[in-house]
Amino acid sequence: MNSLARGWRVQRRVIGALMIRELVTRFGRENIGFLWIMVEPLLFAGLVGIIWRFMKGPEEHGISIVAFIASGYIPLTFFRNAVQRSVRIFTANGSLMYHRQIKVVDFVFVRLLIEMIGGMMAFVFIGAVLIALNEFPVPADIGALIAGWFIYALFTLSLCLILAPLSEVSETIEKFMPVTTYVMIPFSGAFTMMAWLTPAAQKFMYYSPFVHGMELMRYGIFGARVNAQWDIGVTLGASMVCSLIGLAMCRSVRRKLVIE
Amino acid sequence: MIHCEQLTKSYPMGSGRKQVLKGLDLEIRPGEHIGFLGRNGAGKTTLIKLIGGVEMPTAGKIKRNMTVSWPLGFGGGFQGSLTGYDNARFIARIYGHAYREIRDFVEDFTELGAQLKMPVKTYSSGMRARLAFALSLAIEFDCYLIDEIIMVGDANFHQKCHYELFEKRGDRALVLASHSPDLIREFCDRALVLHQGYGTIYSDVNEALQVYAAL
Repeated sequence: MNSLARGWRVQRRVIGALMIRELVTRFGRENIGFLWIMVEPLLFAGLVGIIWRFMKGPEEHGISIVAFIASGYIPLTFFRNAVQRSVRIFTANGSLMYHRQIKVVDFVFVRLLIEMIGGMMAFVFIGAVLIALNEFPVPADIGALIAGWFIYALFTLSLCLILAPLSEVSETIEKFMPVTTYVMIPFSGAFTMMAWLTPAAQKFMYYSPFVHGMELMRYGIFGARVNAQWDIGVTLGASMVCSLIGLAMCRSVRRKLVIE
Repeated sequence: MIHCEQLTKSYPMGSGRKQVLKGLDLEIRPGEHIGFLGRNGAGKTTLIKLIGGVEMPTAGKIKRNMTVSWPLGFGGGFQGSLTGYDNARFIARIYGHAYREIRDFVEDFTELGAQLKMPVKTYSSGMRARLAFALSLAIEFDCYLIDEIIMVGDANFHQKCHYELFEKRGDRALVLASHSPDLIREFCDRALVLHQGYGTIYSDVNEALQVYAAL
């Protein structure tokens, strides 16, 4: 028990140090510094929301289109950034493997955490601005919104745990990553609700772990005005399976890692 | 105490594998100074990386019952794009030490002055050596792993290392990989000669140096 507590302390120290290091190397200490992490999701969500607003009018299925697009794009950019950032993450951080208390899984975890914090900050920021402009509802169930976000993030983490070691052993994976994250957009639940789909499509989409997190977030924002349907069991189950596979892969790749 | 049992390490090379270590046993006792001798590519750095836990052995086991420094060498341990101070902050954080103490020691030991505010990638190898030694001395380990780098310093650096490492911390274990017979003769109690994947340990350092010279 004692050694477990000590391990936990070391782990927390390492995660904290790695986060600060990552923020300093990526954003520096100039101008707005680490606030940059929320700029990209903010721009994506804001600009795409505005474009759709002019293309399709203010509302779709009875809800604000800007709010709908913004709430879909922020999780999506979070996912795409997290995946992109986990490519060759072990090699990129090789010089840190000189310190035995740092484990390869820490790198994946830290980068995901940073993307996640950036996404959450962007969510809060854009929500506040849009609420002030009357384009975004005051969240109906903030607990559901947060739960949905965390479930979505959990599945993203479990995928990154597989992709990070995979990208170390296979260069082809790296080349297929951008197109894969693009092709998966329709299956992410970002731009549609389950209830708007045909029954056949619904059956299929039920197996996409992203959709359930997304639906839960939508319910948290719009409440009863959308007919959200989710089964978090699918996402939690998929996350568990992917995490187990991913952790085993991280362990095996770490053993073979060549460090300069 | 550090026990290495039947260590093997191979790297992928073309379609086959290059066997660097082919089953090596080694024991490092508290306070003893071991020199690693071997020609270029004999596996000195590889063995130090395995002992330091930077890379994992292909087969075999390493048991560490004392704290072991990270390998002090030409690469690794630092983030080149960060300044000397930022690296010191990072090391202080992950080892759970007060940054202020580490900083004071680093400033005093390295004598790098304002250069500590520059990214480490702008440092010469001598300056890197100073920083690496300063940080690991400030953390305090039971065993220090030193890969060649002690050679690059100037006379002033050698003198400081001599005092901090061999006098003040004479009770610590030390692994020293070097091509310098003088250094090994002066500081080591035992020596390991690495050749063709196998290691032979000599408790008479002069004998080891003769074997090494004849390779």
